Amino acid sequence: MTAQLLLSFLLGAILIYAFAERRRSPVVGALALVAAAAGLYFVWVPTHATSLAELAGVGRGVDLIIYIWVVISLLVMLNLHLKLRSQTEAMTGLARAFAIGEALEQDQVATRTSPHTVRMAPRTKRAESGSSKAAAAAIGTSANDSATNK
Amino acid sequence: MMKNTAASGVWVVIAAYNESQALGRVLAGLAGLPYCILVVDDGSSDPTAEIAARGGAEVVRHPINLGQGAALQTGIDYALMRGATHVVTFDADGQHRPEDIAALLAALRAHHAEFALGSRFRGAAPDLPPLRRLMLRAATAFTRLTTGLDVTDAHNGLRAMTRRGAGRIRLRQNRMAHASEILHQIGVSGLAYVEVPVTIRYSRYSLAKGQRASEFVTILLDLFARRLNP
Repeated sequence: MTAQLLLSFLLGAILIYAFAERRRSPVVGALALVAAAAGLYFVWVPTHATSLAELAGVGRGVDLIIYIWVVISLLVMLNLHLKLRSQTEAMTGLARAFAIGEALEQDQVATRTSPHTVRMAPRTKRAESGSSKAAAAAIGTSANDSATNK
Repeated sequence: MMKNTAASGVWVVIAAYNESQALGRVLAGLAGLPYCILVVDDGSSDPTAEIAARGGAEVVRHPINLGQGAALQTGIDYALMRGATHVVTFDADGQHRPEDIAALLAALRAHHAEFALGSRFRGAAPDLPPLRRLMLRAATAFTRLTTGLDVTDAHNGLRAMTRRGAGRIRLRQNRMAHASEILHQIGVSGLAYVEVPVTIRYSRYSLAKGQRASEFVTILLDLFARRLNP
């Protein structure tokens, strides 16, 4: 009975978690929901688990429940991984915006104070300036040994 | 040293993490060339940023270490903001030759391509250890299979792209899987690309900084995760 209560508590927690997650990750949430509900059912009706396990060729009902548990754990881990990834992307964006903002600010300060640095043209004009021609003139012309792909 | 910002619209982006040992020499090799040099210091704990500034480069500093892919994307974004006409990615460990940049840019023009990808297997890599050669070949085979691109060197950090091409790159793989991701995005963009022979000079330092066999497993996992969460 103690084991059943403990398992019920844990599976119940998964059930609540899966229900809460269904909006953010519908597939993972739904699968975890079904798996946890099935787990709960078999904890309290182990004879059905045994019948089902025999049908599936697993052997014992308890093995089947363990397998379900493993599946749930993997799904939760996958969900966590995807969440962590999206958080890392958000953090990267934040760090990038900070780094670029700081560099642009420093560049503007340097442009205002340095007697050596050429004052920059407005960015739109700079993009359209003759710099591409200057670069093209500066670069080599040999590309005989290249291969084009499309 | 004066910053070489007004020379041309070609921006050479160097992602650097704790590269104080090699970066000075790399920047000295690029000095005098008509390119804007941008070092993205990826949260280094050593004086990489100071060395970069002293070497005449523009410096963008990540507040924390995010990985080479993230640093390159930051560099591309910054260069485009500053009006770059071409963006070149160049390694900080001294294994690339500055003269190969001109060859990449020339290939872009000659073939009207948007991307020029350096290839050590079309060019030369005289001191490439056999195990690394094997790993690179395997990575290239994987990339050819997954991207459909006809490339011979999937993990070469020396590339050039036009402004149009650079605008199509949006790296989400912060770590080393970005090399395959760039090729994937080039394939998706449908823009023209060209492979250009380059020479990679291996040193004890660059080999120590380079990818290890275990990292290739991580790269594969990263790429698999990308497929799950595109």
